[in-house]
Amino acid sequence: MRFSRRELLGAALALAAGPAFGGSFKSSRSAGLFLSAASTKDDTHWVKGLRWQGDSLVQEFALPLPERGHHVEVHPDGRHFVMVARRPGTWLVLGDAEKGELLEVLRVPEDRHLFGHGVFTADGRHFYTTESDFEDLTGDSGLIVEWRVDLSEGFKLLREREFRSYGVGPHELLLMPDQDVIAIANGGIRTHPANDRENLNIDTMVPSLAYIDRHTGALLEQHFLPEEWRQASIRHFDVDAAGQIAFGMQFEGEPWMDVPLVGTHRRGEELRLLTAPQPLQGQMKQYVGSVRYAADGKSFVSSCPIGNMLVFWDAQTGEVLDSIRSRDGCGVCAIEQGYFFSAGTGRLAWYEPATRTVHEFETGPELDLLWDNHLSRV
Amino acid sequence: MRIPFLLLAVLPCAVLAQNTDWTAVNLAATDAHVIPAYERFASASAALKTTGEGFCAQVDADSLADLREAFNISFDAWQGVQHIQFGPITYFNWNYRVQFWPDDNGTGARQLTALIAAADPAVLEAETFARQSVGVQGFPALERLLFEDGALELLQKEPYRCQVVEAITANLGDIANGVYRQWVDEFRNTVANADERGFFESAEDATIDFLKALVESIRRVQQQKLESVLGDNQAAARARRAEAWRSDRSIQNLQTNVLALHQLFDGGEPPLKSVLLEEDWPAIDASFEALLATMDTLPSSMNEALTTAEGYAALKAARDGLDSLYETIEAALKKTDLYLGFNSLDGD
Repeated sequence: MRFSRRELLGAALALAAGPAFGGSFKSSRSAGLFLSAASTKDDTHWVKGLRWQGDSLVQEFALPLPERGHHVEVHPDGRHFVMVARRPGTWLVLGDAEKGELLEVLRVPEDRHLFGHGVFTADGRHFYTTESDFEDLTGDSGLIVEWRVDLSEGFKLLREREFRSYGVGPHELLLMPDQDVIAIANGGIRTHPANDRENLNIDTMVPSLAYIDRHTGALLEQHFLPEEWRQASIRHFDVDAAGQIAFGMQFEGEPWMDVPLVGTHRRGEELRLLTAPQPLQGQMKQYVGSVRYAADGKSFVSSCPIGNMLVFWDAQTGEVLDSIRSRDGCGVCAIEQGYFFSAGTGRLAWYEPATRTVHEFETGPELDLLWDNHLSRV
Repeated sequence: MRIPFLLLAVLPCAVLAQNTDWTAVNLAATDAHVIPAYERFASASAALKTTGEGFCAQVDADSLADLREAFNISFDAWQGVQHIQFGPITYFNWNYRVQFWPDDNGTGARQLTALIAAADPAVLEAETFARQSVGVQGFPALERLLFEDGALELLQKEPYRCQVVEAITANLGDIANGVYRQWVDEFRNTVANADERGFFESAEDATIDFLKALVESIRRVQQQKLESVLGDNQAAARARRAEAWRSDRSIQNLQTNVLALHQLFDGGEPPLKSVLLEEDWPAIDASFEALLATMDTLPSSMNEALTTAEGYAALKAARDGLDSLYETIEAALKKTDLYLGFNSLDGD
């Protein structure tokens, strides 16, 4: 572990009374857990439930996964969750965070693959995944799939219907605050299970941010990047309470190009693309992994696992507030005190914006893992 | 499985990890290898800049030979530090501005042609030139202008083409000096204080950057400088995918690269290799020695080597030597807590 006494002391003081998690949770035993996919160096794959205790993180549960997972989506009941396979995977693992049990492994149909993301509606009745109809080569193979949530006996997902994502390679998707509209990042990149993770259309990709009526499947609004940045794949984003989106991109073009990697958007407006001052911008290495707003919505973080950094942005002005080193760091999520983050090096830590300090968690060997791209909180 | 908190408290990873003085390793690599290598690059490129100044006043066979010589010395020095892919070289796109290569789409050639066609003198002012496409700013563009067929006549006939040469040599001199000064004035300190959590997470985090410079460069040299040229067999070889086929110094580059990688691994006290288990050193040393011996036997011209069965076989042996060195170091790394990448490897 890497921590200084000074920081440990700081963390101990800050947490002397235990973390003050807000909100009301229907399930108290799983409340406040952090969930993430992780792998071991010898290639076993897990979804792990972590509990914050003092200045430590302890493992609450560990469930094996068939392959690497990507995002874990927690049901609004604060108990059930869905671990989504990394692209171009085909499975969903349903789990119970309270009991630490695996409930079911679902498979998508044979001619579909997932992109690692899914989202529940706030009322908990529906779940949506991004998928590809990968034999459809018309340039419009992206799908949003609606699943009905059945809690009548345990926790079931029933695949109900599909509608278009209005693009190729849909990745993260989220509900807008009104709960009627789904925002979706069409990364623009075509993949096919037969070619594993190879990007098949770098020369013709057209990424977009789309807003879709989840009741009718109608496209309400769609935004594209300027031609010179067409190879910037919009992949991950977050949405604040007022409906402002903060998104991150992964550039597939020339490695020397100075390309915006982050942006914000409000419906009805144009995309606002943001660049950090040099040399910071260049060190982001054209790649943003995750984007999450702070709990108060005033700032957001973009993780740069290739550039080994987290960059914090003012959500209103779009200016860089701070950046910290985080080797292979990708998973981020908001906590009351700031941002919790994880890394492929095994690191688990949190950043406190008020003091601009990083606090390392103590962990046992069972958490010395390669943490996957995304972190979620129950 | 839950582990009681008290047990966790007595089992922090630091106790389980190797007993390595990361900072000492990092500073040894910095002082014995990185900074001297950048110093050579800066001084060779300062000489290149000086030779380039006034080149256009008298372009003849002698002055072109002098400039080619200065180019060779500066490019050699760059090859000795090309593997350092972290720190100041990543500032201001310096890395790509020094050498945008490989250039699979022919971007550099296209942009150089466009630059010369436009013939705008204002673009060649140092500050403006530094903002031009990376494809026209560094060694590949300079090599083309100095070594292309009929270079002397073209440079004599087209004053603007000659002025581009002056702009590139000045630019390289400035960048090399900038990178060197940044290492001496700032980044050495950053490395020395890596445990204080400024730029780096820890001194061990900084060590991983040195290790990546070694391991990833071995692969890069193998794949970009050899495999892409060699193809599947001699008939499929593509000489023009070599790094410096115009000046026919691609093999010299390879030899310089391997010497530099060996120095990074074994130079300094304590050497970078000391972060690996001592039981694994002999195999890696042997692998390096075999590769260095193979490198010594290579003919000087890759362009010619590719036309003979013996030459092709020698290059293939160099490729195999790099591959086996990589595998040997990877195997040793797996026995340590050091991990070079997970999310950063293939992205999502």
